[in-house]
Amino acid sequence: MQNWNLYSRGDKLFVRINAVLIGLFALSTLYPFIYIASVSFSSAFAARAGKVVLTPIDVTLSAYAHVLSEPQFWNSYGNTFIYTIGGTLTSLLIIIPGAYALSRPQLIGRRFWNLMIAFTMWFHAGMIPFWLNMRDLGLLDSMIGIIIAFACNAFNIILLRNFFESIPQSFEEAARMDGANEFQVLWKVFVPLSKPAIATITLFCVVARWNGFFWAMILLTDEGKVPLQVYLRQTIADLSDDEEFSSTLIDAAYSVETVTAAIIVCSIIPVLCFYPFIQKYFNKGIMLGGVKE
Amino acid sequence: MSGVLLQNIVKAYGAAQVVHGINLTVQEKEFVVLVGPSGCGKSTTLRMIAGLEEITEGQLSIYGKVVNRIAPKDRDVAMVFQNYALYPHLNVADNMAFGLRIRKMPKPEIKQQIKNVAEILELTDYLERRPADLSGGQRQRVAMGRAIVRHPKVFLFDEPLSNLDAKLRTQMRAEIRRLHNRLGVTSIYVTHDQVEAMTLADRIVVMNDGRIEQVGTPMELFMNPANIFVAGFLGSPPMNQMPGTVTEKGVEIDGIIIAVSGNLSAQVGRKVIVGIRPEHVSLQKEKGTTALPINLDLVEPLGSEALLHAQFGAHQLVFKTETQGSIDHLSDVSEVYVHASMVKLFDAETGEALPL
Repeated sequence: MQNWNLYSRGDKLFVRINAVLIGLFALSTLYPFIYIASVSFSSAFAARAGKVVLTPIDVTLSAYAHVLSEPQFWNSYGNTFIYTIGGTLTSLLIIIPGAYALSRPQLIGRRFWNLMIAFTMWFHAGMIPFWLNMRDLGLLDSMIGIIIAFACNAFNIILLRNFFESIPQSFEEAARMDGANEFQVLWKVFVPLSKPAIATITLFCVVARWNGFFWAMILLTDEGKVPLQVYLRQTIADLSDDEEFSSTLIDAAYSVETVTAAIIVCSIIPVLCFYPFIQKYFNKGIMLGGVKE
Repeated sequence: MSGVLLQNIVKAYGAAQVVHGINLTVQEKEFVVLVGPSGCGKSTTLRMIAGLEEITEGQLSIYGKVVNRIAPKDRDVAMVFQNYALYPHLNVADNMAFGLRIRKMPKPEIKQQIKNVAEILELTDYLERRPADLSGGQRQRVAMGRAIVRHPKVFLFDEPLSNLDAKLRTQMRAEIRRLHNRLGVTSIYVTHDQVEAMTLADRIVVMNDGRIEQVGTPMELFMNPANIFVAGFLGSPPMNQMPGTVTEKGVEIDGIIIAVSGNLSAQVGRKVIVGIRPEHVSLQKEKGTTALPINLDLVEPLGSEALLHAQFGAHQLVFKTETQGSIDHLSDVSEVYVHASMVKLFDAETGEALPL
């Protein structure tokens, strides 16, 4: 810490309290991860008896062995990847040009379009009209339906639009003087300058898609098309309903708890791997040095 | 052929007209500086030439071709922006190559162009650096390099030096003029700094309130300003101005008659503004001069010169004189002498210069 000795007593106290609060917050977000991971590696009995607090009890990989041996797990895992990658790319393809258009002063009816986009954040039709709409479009139980139905997100468009608006006008003008057309201005100047904002939106899209459960449950009926989160719910329901499985619990190698935890751990790993790749874009100051204000 | 021709150019934003029908001919290979105070319409005029602003009325031609409805990229002009506008995600070489790549120039040719321009601008060692890793002067040179590599017909400069410190500004000013002498490209340069205007321009266009006040060479404008605005805008310190009345023997200010060259007989009794440049007085009485009794209240040494702040009647005036290594002899100055040919008269109502 810089110049710690120059801090007053009040400032030092403030910094220490902050550190404690941040530590508690970090712990409160980290602990569920640790707990779930520990449960997934524990024996069925220890998990059900509530013995697992921090570290695994009676370490076993049987829950993973069960999960990974299920073909439906791999199928839904693959589906989740398709929905996440396809959905995120479709979203970016719509959000980036949309936000650019809405950020341009020369867009005819700009205020109206912006209002219409924002309007969808405050009011939407609700679940049943949406389902009926999907049905009428023939998009029920369709992988394409899941991808395109949720591709356009007003919040993300407004977020990126605001970022585009903050880019100095002279970049656009310089590019236009250099001979760039609107698409070139967008792809060669605005997109590279907006990496932090686009990375943020990508992360939002990826996380939302990866965790997407509700609409997939409502819209998809074919087991072969469901994502991981829906499969997780089915597994919990199936194991809980299985009376034979429940009665042999004491001897069982895995339980509802350990299997659930193992699936959750498997579903978290890709997101954990993804984040470091985009973290480098969350740096400020990309515009540094380009213009002098 | 004229390089750039502006005919009755008008710019209006809704009901507010900011450029009121200006006419200007910029000759081929000429360096023209648009100068004026903030909000006088000089940048707007430049941006209309660039194609970044639509022209409300009038006709703009570049090398004989009317370009009113032609996109900036097709006008064959390049612009250097006040805030550089370098692409921060690209290094120096890529910044300069940006326009060439968009125009699909072959790669080896791009490389050669960049090499040539980098040598001219002494940027060869910095081609791999990003703008953030360059100093202000280097960034400005990159911005110019980006304009030069394209070999445009016209260079447009929008206050390119205003973000630099004073020393660098002087240095870059000279570089820009040298570059112009070397490349000979028609250039239009906007600034509010009259020193830049005087030093760079083949011709200066003084603008005020959306109108052109005067066009001429720097010395023409300095010696024979067309009106009181130009007289006050060019020159540092600005021209001293005092109200007076024309008499048969000269011009009278507070009972003192100052000799003026030229025939004033038709103007007798006319109310005028008398203009005397600070540099145009001497401390020695010479033939054809009039003595102005002054009360000296401050001497500001500038090194080789000094500024004398003095009261002349009710008027606060500033004079500039050489120090010859000391300002001691200036402390008891009580009179300065102005030659008749150096006294300028402007109509008190219209501000226009009187023909003498």
